[in-house]
Amino acid sequence: CTDDLDITPNDDQTTLSNDLYANEGAYKQVLAGIYANLALTGTDGPESSNLDGIDAGTSQFGRVLLYTQTLAADQMIWSYENDPGTREIQRNIWTAQNPLLLGMFSRAHLSVALANDFLRETTDAKLDSRNVSTAVRNQIPAYRAEARLMRAMAYYYLMDLFGQANFTTENDALNTQPIAYGRTELFNFIESELLAIEADLVDAKQNEYGRADKAVAYMLLAKIYLNAEVYVNENRYNDCVTYCEKVISGGFTLATNYLHNFMADNNSNSAVNEIIFPIISDGLTTQNYGPTTVMVNGSVGSIEQNGAEVGVTEGGWGGALRVRKQFAQLFEGPFADDDRNTIISEGRSIDINDISDRDSGYIIQKYSNATTTGSFGIDLTFVDTDFPLFRLADVYLMYAEAHLRGGGGSASTALDYLNALRIRANNPAVLTAGEMTLDYILDERARELHWEAHRRQDLIRYGRFTGGNYNWAWKGNGSNGISLASHLNLYPIPTASLASNPNLTQNPGY
Amino acid sequence: TVTEKSTAIPLPGVNVVIKNSTTGTSTDFDGQYQLQAKKGDVLVFSYVGYLPIEIPFTGQSTINVEMAEDAALLDEIVVIGYGSTTKKDATGSVEAITSEDFTRGNIVTPENLLSGRISGVSINTSGAPGSGSQIRIRGGSSINASNDPLIIIDGLPITNDSNRGSRGILASINPNDIDSFSVLKDASATAIYGSRAANGVIIIVTKKGKSTFSATLDSQYSFGELTDRINVFSANDFRSLVASQPINGSNLDETLLGNANTNWQDEIFRNTVSSQHNLSLQGSLFKAIPTRFSFGITNQEGAITTSEFERRNLGLALNPSLFDDHLKINLNANLSFEDNRFADSGQIGAALRYDPTQPVYDPTSPFGGFYQHRNGNTLLNGTTNPVASLLQTNNQGDSNRAYGNLNLDYKFHFLPELKAVLNIGYDETETKEIQRTSALVATNDDVRGNVFDRFEKRTNELFDGYLNYSKEFNKVRSEFTAGYSYQKFTFKGNNTGNRLDPNSAPDTYADPNVVLIGFFGRANLTFADKYLLTLTYRRDGSSRFSEENRWGNFPAAALAWNISDEDFLKNSNVISNLKLRAGYGITGQQEVSQKDIFLNRYRGGNPNSQYQFGNTVIQSLIASEINPDLKWEETTTFEFGVDYGLFDNKLSGSLNVFQKNSKDLLFEASVADGANFSNNVIQNIGELRIQGLEFSLNADVVKQEDFNVNVNFNATFLDREITDLALGQDVRTGGIAGGTGNNIQMHRIGEAPNSFSVYKQLYDTAGNPIEGAYADLNGDNVINDDDRYIKENPGADVILGFQSNINYKNFDLSFNMRANLGNYVYNNVNSSRAQLGQLQDNAVLGNVPTSVLNTNFQRTSDVITSDLYLEDASFLKMDNITLGYTFNNISKKLKSIRLWGGVQNVFVITNYTGLDPEVTGTDPGIDNLIYPRPRTILAGANFKF
Repeated sequence: CTDDLDITPNDDQTTLSNDLYANEGAYKQVLAGIYANLALTGTDGPESSNLDGIDAGTSQFGRVLLYTQTLAADQMIWSYENDPGTREIQRNIWTAQNPLLLGMFSRAHLSVALANDFLRETTDAKLDSRNVSTAVRNQIPAYRAEARLMRAMAYYYLMDLFGQANFTTENDALNTQPIAYGRTELFNFIESELLAIEADLVDAKQNEYGRADKAVAYMLLAKIYLNAEVYVNENRYNDCVTYCEKVISGGFTLATNYLHNFMADNNSNSAVNEIIFPIISDGLTTQNYGPTTVMVNGSVGSIEQNGAEVGVTEGGWGGALRVRKQFAQLFEGPFADDDRNTIISEGRSIDINDISDRDSGYIIQKYSNATTTGSFGIDLTFVDTDFPLFRLADVYLMYAEAHLRGGGGSASTALDYLNALRIRANNPAVLTAGEMTLDYILDERARELHWEAHRRQDLIRYGRFTGGNYNWAWKGNGSNGISLASHLNLYPIPTASLASNPNLTQNPGY
Repeated sequence: TVTEKSTAIPLPGVNVVIKNSTTGTSTDFDGQYQLQAKKGDVLVFSYVGYLPIEIPFTGQSTINVEMAEDAALLDEIVVIGYGSTTKKDATGSVEAITSEDFTRGNIVTPENLLSGRISGVSINTSGAPGSGSQIRIRGGSSINASNDPLIIIDGLPITNDSNRGSRGILASINPNDIDSFSVLKDASATAIYGSRAANGVIIIVTKKGKSTFSATLDSQYSFGELTDRINVFSANDFRSLVASQPINGSNLDETLLGNANTNWQDEIFRNTVSSQHNLSLQGSLFKAIPTRFSFGITNQEGAITTSEFERRNLGLALNPSLFDDHLKINLNANLSFEDNRFADSGQIGAALRYDPTQPVYDPTSPFGGFYQHRNGNTLLNGTTNPVASLLQTNNQGDSNRAYGNLNLDYKFHFLPELKAVLNIGYDETETKEIQRTSALVATNDDVRGNVFDRFEKRTNELFDGYLNYSKEFNKVRSEFTAGYSYQKFTFKGNNTGNRLDPNSAPDTYADPNVVLIGFFGRANLTFADKYLLTLTYRRDGSSRFSEENRWGNFPAAALAWNISDEDFLKNSNVISNLKLRAGYGITGQQEVSQKDIFLNRYRGGNPNSQYQFGNTVIQSLIASEINPDLKWEETTTFEFGVDYGLFDNKLSGSLNVFQKNSKDLLFEASVADGANFSNNVIQNIGELRIQGLEFSLNADVVKQEDFNVNVNFNATFLDREITDLALGQDVRTGGIAGGTGNNIQMHRIGEAPNSFSVYKQLYDTAGNPIEGAYADLNGDNVINDDDRYIKENPGADVILGFQSNINYKNFDLSFNMRANLGNYVYNNVNSSRAQLGQLQDNAVLGNVPTSVLNTNFQRTSDVITSDLYLEDASFLKMDNITLGYTFNNISKKLKSIRLWGGVQNVFVITNYTGLDPEVTGTDPGIDNLIYPRPRTILAGANFKF
């Protein structure tokens, strides 16, 4: 008998796809899987991963995004440079071999693959053949729109960071080599997708927490329009203003306290009105080594041992994260008492002459595993704090910047938005129209949005990432910073990804 | 009386004749004989399977003779797949080793009986008690798939996977029950096992029942002591170093120093006492069934305190023959009870690191009276007390295994040339793991202590049947075999989670079944006793592949020519045996860890890997990586061999030259991002070439009645090279300690697998290494990943084995030496620890290896990938030496007593600076604190009844 060679999985966590969809609840669970790819690295705890070539925990979407957008710029230092790839990222000497870049490239593409799979499994023909009930079928258009939104978001980050992506949709078979899209093609696809799904998406703030709504699509559109000069050499600031307005009109309001956005209960405190889209973290049910777990544990000081204050072990990760001098200086003068200034400087030098000396350089206490009611997250390592990937304050700043760049809108509204952020931060100094400049906005974005994975993109838009017109500590591997070659505005296509798809071409300069 | 030399049992039926006459007799049931002879006659004693003996008659009234089995005899039976052959008729590269030739010493697991004995076979065993070994035949033909040989016990192929809670799949087998090994090395010998034969086959034959009664009792005790330590600073040296050594320009905080003088390695290592006792009884049950019963008990203490291995074995073999020997029945049933206590070998690292100025105990400590770095009741960041970690944890594994087989061999009454063989095997292991950690363990966590149980069950069912037909036509002897084989493996388990932690959830898990089905055939043709041809074919199906790719075909052919039987050599005084062999064959590989990767699957998150929609936790379902096209990896082997015997086979051995080409390697390699549910999926990509030369020499240097010296030497030259990889890309591998996810090795075309990828260290004019300074090999003025280069690899270029057995009267002496040449080891102990910056261990002080004084390096991250830490680990080891004395004919019942003593791990000669040049672990050639191997003094006694 040779029939025994036909096996099926025996593990209770694994199901064959044919069996899976017999249960109608599976559609929502598979949709949750697409979202989960932003929060989890695998299905079997925080040390499991469905990617290779990078440490499991480090491959979390928000983590690699933080490394590529924040660690690579002027706000953050990672003390343990023997963690592969960190040294090269924070000193701007990366190569195509860098595992963190592979993690970013592969994790974002996994979102694409999971979304494509969901779209293949939810076609009318498939639903008909499975006799799916009307109740579930009514949900499917919104689910499909969310899957396409997550796919567009993945392509947005690939366009921003790498300028290229493997382009594959639900119409392509698995295990084939996709064609490669450059920035223009990606820009056009992202734009058209986001516009196409608008009607099917749930209205802003009307979806369940953790799921995306129309505002997320508007946010992405605003982002690609704001950076359109970088991506496709087009002036789209008008569109940026339009979509910022659409987000704002969705009913979002600033959290009552700046720090609410970064606390363990930011899924229920006043930040729920500000956060447009979070990456979920939970000390019990959604454990990950994502950006919030890393930043809460990592920013515990080597000297201060202040972990207990933020709801993790006293020593945290022994001073893994600190800030660079140029960032710390943004909180001098009128911003010293600003709520957004969480710098701890006592007994520390502002300079970091030796990256491995964890007692040098300032630390901050922005993210926390404490709640607004004085309690703490359930676990002392894995925080409950969700990562605010998109939030209203960013939209306010984008509106003002697009306005100043000629995108229309109202100058007084822009000024009001900027002052709203200062007022919320209990900064008594009111910004005047004369002070509202692009340079101010860049600095204000750093004060408001530091360690939120925006900085590299901002500096590139301002032309200050590469070249020598703005040097920060350890830029280009010099302790005081040196000029960077312009090709570093794009990351290289990771070696392994390039090798597995010859349709990709390495970015110039690598 | 004529007796059997090794057992002192009387031999009935021995022919005793006067040389050059027809006068003779044979011995009776008690081995006695009477013969009339006159002075000057020479008595010739001969018996099938034994060396003939000639003794001149000088008027003695009695002549007692001990006859020894003729181990080198060419008609020695050699067990091969689905049958047996003789050494003379073997066409493939097969080496047999029987119990007389086994490696001696502190043998706890069966594979060590082979250690150093056979060319092309390397066995690397960890120092942990009862631990498994990495066995490699000809270096391994795979990269990502298994490189383990197929191990077959009495016809039952066993899996290489073992349960958690057990020391390994061979740990439950009693070496004392083993009668012989056959090691099949080339494809013409192994192809009959098709899909699982690419890395060679080791066939284990256990001892059988006999008709005459005999009993043996074996006892041995061993006393182990670690002879070496990794040198770290003593408490006093540490104090002065802390006082004098600024880190990052600032002085260390001397107030953190304590007043004690503790050698932490001495605290966690111990001298060990171990024992083994084996009793076996052989005889005829009900005067009809030859039976063997054995009982063994083994206790082994580990060198790390609390580590322990205990095993009890029961074995029963029933070997009756019915219907005039037409039906032979062999039943083997074994029970094994393995009780382990595991000690976390990671505490070796903690012992190296822990501040030597602190005491082991501290009566004021809230952590069970053990000293810990703390602030009140709060633990400070830094290493925890290794003695506390070991003593406050009790991690036990009880593994019970039942295995055996029933073999029916029926010779047809109407056609005696035809026989049918049926073999049914079963192997089941149930393991319970019990983990308990004291609630006083040092932690700042809310949850203190651990109560965790795990249960696992693994089964292996076999059904084999084949027909064998042999017939002689004139000058042609022929033998044909054809059969069918079915085997199924299952595995499941569950654990309770930590029952003291309300957030810890229990888990149930299971592997997909693995089913292997094969159809096989073999033809052996011998012309004029001189020209031999073997053809084999196997068609195998594996459940690991989709229906389209499931079946693989594995043919092989071999030719041999017994030149010494040709007329022109027949009467040579020098050449007593000369055989040329040539073989070709294809073998397969399907052993990849994912057993269902060809299926369209989704995996639900475990309780810690869920997602949240609103306030509801939802189990996310994520599509699993998939490769429906996965198929067999194939290895093609060419081999030429010479078997030789000189001077009446006083010198004998063989020389083999081979090349193995593995293609469609089952390889974890990247796939186009977005086109699968991972960036890396196992695929059939890449090719590996292995070239090798094996040489063996067995010499009877002295062969006299009272004095025998036998030496055995073998040498293996191996070269493994990757000849193709997926899209030509490099693959990083070889994870190291010190940072998260660092790799030190690389697979690259044109290089050996697991070659080291390192930075080239720069030195100052005085020859001292400059910290963090590497050569800019690509000359782009930036030192980054592109400047790493390939240097050496962990594989030995040459593997040598040497052993000798010496008998003088009743004394026996044997020893065993091994050498590896050209194997490199990356010293991860030094690379991740020997930097002065590590004197600061988070909030406290920490010790570092004294080798830091060779470099004075400060920062681990600046130096960890330097080629400075790559060392030549060539070595010469004497594994063991034993000396014994046998007292014979003590009484009518007690036939003999052998008393013996020995030393295990006698010496190591190497330039490697780490603890042991033979490192163990998942990645070859990376020394990251191995479980040390103690030097052991052995004493034992063997009683024969």
